[in-house]
This record gives sequence, C-alpha cells and structure tokens, in this order.
Amino acid sequence: MQGWPDPAAARDRLEPLLNRLATTIGPLSLRNPIATASGTFGYGLEFSGVVDLARLGGIFTKGLSLRPHEGNPPPRICETPAGMLNAIGLQNIGVEEFLRDRLPKLRDAGATVFANVWGDEEDDYVEVVQGLEGASGLAGIELNISCPNVSHGGMLFGNSPEATFSLVSKVRRASRMPLVVKLSPNAPDIVESARAARRGGADVLSLVNTFVGMAIDTETARPRISFGTGGLSGPAIRPLAVRMVFQIHRAMPEVPLWGIGGISGLSDVVEFLLAGASAVQVGTANFRDPGVSERLVGELDRYCEERGIAAADLVGKAH
Amino acid sequence: MPRGMRDFRARIRDHRDYGPGLFAISCEAAELAASVRPGQFAMLGVENRITPYLRRAFSIADIEPERGAVEFLIKTVGSGTRCLEELPAGAEISVLAPLGNAFNTQEVGKGDRVAIVAGGVGIAPFPILLRELSRRGAVADLFFGGRTSGDLAYLAKISAMVTGVEHDCTDDGSLGFRGRVTDLFAARLAEGATYRRIYACGPTPMFKALARVLPKGAEAEFSTEAPMGCGFGVCLACVLPAPRGGYVVSCKDGPILPPQEIDWSRC
Repeated sequence: MQGWPDPAAARDRLEPLLNRLATTIGPLSLRNPIATASGTFGYGLEFSGVVDLARLGGIFTKGLSLRPHEGNPPPRICETPAGMLNAIGLQNIGVEEFLRDRLPKLRDAGATVFANVWGDEEDDYVEVVQGLEGASGLAGIELNISCPNVSHGGMLFGNSPEATFSLVSKVRRASRMPLVVKLSPNAPDIVESARAARRGGADVLSLVNTFVGMAIDTETARPRISFGTGGLSGPAIRPLAVRMVFQIHRAMPEVPLWGIGGISGLSDVVEFLLAGASAVQVGTANFRDPGVSERLVGELDRYCEERGIAAADLVGKAH
Repeated sequence: MPRGMRDFRARIRDHRDYGPGLFAISCEAAELAASVRPGQFAMLGVENRITPYLRRAFSIADIEPERGAVEFLIKTVGSGTRCLEELPAGAEISVLAPLGNAFNTQEVGKGDRVAIVAGGVGIAPFPILLRELSRRGAVADLFFGGRTSGDLAYLAKISAMVTGVEHDCTDDGSLGFRGRVTDLFAARLAEGATYRRIYACGPTPMFKALARVLPKGAEAEFSTEAPMGCGFGVCLACVLPAPRGGYVVSCKDGPILPPQEIDWSRC
C-alpha cells in the first residue's frame, strides 16, 4: 500500500532548493554569500532600520584596534571617477566597547558577525584577537593587513609575503576562531601574498582592500585628502579585483575566497563568484545605497531560482 | 540609523535658477515635507550614475506641506551638483532623508529676538527655520553675506520671510555693506544688539570668524558641513576636530553643533 510521503524525506529533497544561497566558505556555513565589507557598514547596527541584518551572509565590522582610535584629520574622502578615495585612518571604538555595547545587540539582531582587526605591531593584533576569542555572537575574525591609511602596521603586513606569513601564523597560534585574512592589492604579487597567508594558517582569504591612490586639487595644488594618499574603492577597481580573485583561484582552487571590490549590483556579485569567490562583500555601495546588501540577497536568490541552480554552482565557473 | 530616515525617489516639480551656478529644486516628497525639522538635511543623487558615485548632502531649505514639496538650494561646485543642475522638472532624483539633528528652537518664543548669520549658499537651511521661528512668534534678524550680489540672489525668496532687520553685505560692495558678514554682525553686537539665540551657516572661515566675535555665553548653533560619504554616520568622513582631541561626526552628531564643540583652531 502506498503511504503518504515521508515529510522528512520531502524536506531533505526540498531543502537544497529552498537554500539555494546557502554557502560554505572554509570552516564557515553562511546563509548566503552576500556580506558587507569592513569600514563601509559601521558596526552593523547603524543599518538596522534599513537592512535586516539576519538576512545577510555576514557583516564585517569597522577595523577594531585594542584601544579606541581617532583616525586621520579631515578631509578624509574625495570622489574620483566611478569611486572614491578615503583615508579615514581606522577610527574605531576599540575592542572593549565593541564587546560590551555592539556585539550583544548584533547577536540579538541575528547577524553573522566578523570582527575586522588591526594593530601597529604583531603583538597588537594578537592582543586584539585574544580579546575577541570565543566572544558569543562572533563568527570569525578578519585580519586587516591591508589598510593603506595608517602610518604603522596595516598595509605593511600585507605588502611582503614574509611579514604576512609571520603575522598570520602568530595570530593563528593565538586563536581558534575562523580566520579570514584580507589581502592588500598593493602587494607586489597577490598570489604570493595569498600563499603566505594560507601558509600562516588563514582559513579564508578576502580580497581586495583598497588600492593606494591620490587626487590633487588643481586649484590649491595640494592633495585632496589630508593624508595625501588614500584607498581607492568603488566600481573603478572592480576589474582589478575580479582579476586578482581569478588569479588566486586559478593558482589555488582549493582556497576559499571572499571577493570584494566595487560591487554595486547583481551582475557584479555573479562576476566575483564566477571568478572563483565563494562569497562577496559589498563595500562602498553601502554609502550611496544603504539597502543594497539585503536587496542583492533577494536578487541573487531570484537569479538562481530562474536558472535552477545554487549560488555555489557559480563559483569558479569562469575558469 | 537616523530616526525616520527613508530612501526614496522624488520627482522634481520645479527648477528655479538664481543666476549662474545657483539654483533651487522643489521635489515631490510629501512624507518628508510633513516630518522634517529645520536644520535637517538630505543626501541627493541621480540614479544609475556610476560617476558621481556618491550622493551629495544638502540642507532642506524649505517645505510646502500643503503641496507635499521640499526645496533644496544648490550651488554648482563639482560633478555631483552639476548633474543635479542639469535635471529638468519632471526628472527623478534619489533622496535619503531626513538626516541629522535640527536647530534648537525650544525656549524661543514670543518676543524673543534671534540672529541668523549666513554666508553664500549657507543661506540654504534658513527659510524653513524662519517659518518655524515666525510660528513661534520670535523676531529674526538676517545677516547675509557673499562675495558678490549674485551670491545673495536667494534674497528674492527669503527677504519676505525675514521678520526682523535684514543686513546684507558683499566682499565687492555690489550689494549692501562692503565687507564680511561677521564684521557686520560684530558691529551690531558692539552697538548693543543682543540675541536669544544665533543660528549660522556658511564656509569654515566665516564660522571661525563668528566663533571669535560671539559674546561670552551666547547660545549659538552652527549648521556644519564637511565632505560626506554616506550622511548617516557610517563612513566617518565628515569629521570636525573636537576641543579635547578626537572628532565630532558632522552628519551624526550634527550637522547642527554649538561652536564650542568644535576646535576651530584645527579647522
């Protein structure tokens, strides 16, 4: 006699279809591959009226240091063709206030939170990471070895494979949390940089941070931001970032990548996945369009539904 | 996130020129017109443009709640303002608003005299404030300065709204007193004028000069501005140096700030 279909079996069959955006990236399981990039999403809560934080694949906090940091003097940004230069200088509230005030609220909001961390010296990074170790509501750490806008630390660790390896392995020894390392596109060879971070123990690589750039005011003959140079972001850098993701995926297809660089719309997300990223981070677009990240989740879902595929099916398909 | 902030499209109802590079646009935004407070601002952008990529910050100049309209006064200074200038009536813009805090008009009431000090396009936030002050029965003197008479073209609209005395000045003497608006204001103070509150908006040099001439203990509110990326406290671009080190964030802590919360020597 034919019985009713077993509900559990039916659910098992349906689940992959319903969860066509579910993403695995290294040791991490994400709701979907759309996250927001560090420095463009505050501590997440600033967006809570516009974005349902629980619907995002992840949020990456403003770069945290052990103690609060006040950042660079203004002017800190200027607009450039299809993008912007910034030298905010990692202004942040510090680990303690983050843990006390922000993280519990993020956890309550159902967000998947990654703490982006930085320091002047290797030991500073280690201390920050130890301070965050095991914090309830924290999904992982993103090591910022690529900020071009501070005079110490930051990008210095990202621009030589030796420095990258040394820092990442030290942090790896200090933490059992999932470790994402954010690479600098200003490194002489992004693939070497990626190898060094992996050798040091990175679970996932995120790329790219901003490109060092400059704009000069033709009236005053002075740089348009006070730091002189700044980090270039926005659609202007997307082809460069896509190329770097593609290169690393080609060289090391087993390494999980988080693609970043000028993502503003659905086709940009798909482009990064095709290049070899398992997930993406939306950055500068959050400034001009605060609802963009959640909207992209919906758009990617429809895109996959229409094609009868899962987002993971797209990863690396351009190779 | 600023309370009540919404991201929406608005149709431009009319576009009025006030001379070369100075224009006002009036947009259909009924909900905003009903809820905005004097001093708040909006980020405006032209959709589907990749350059300029970011929106630009503008004071909400005036509202017409009965028509559901909001007015912005804009000076063309670069690519962001130029692409707004090129939009004809009927075109749509993207609006993120209301943003920031508001001028404090509490405790200002019937019989109170206040001063408004404006430099150039810094006149922008004051029509809506003048309406509120007038509703409260306060009398407002206007001190309005610019480089030339063209910078003061918005007087065509705002003169009729001034309930007190209008003082105009230009650097070249083409309209009103020849000289700086802060000197004009200081001269009135020296003559014994006193004000319940002083509201100001203009370029940084004007703020610095004004901060120097304000009487001790004067209640003043400056509508500040700095290059903004987002308008809601996330990018941390629009910072102003604070007196005891560190920075205030213009879009989130302000844009309306008492002058003593800013270290003008570091501006």
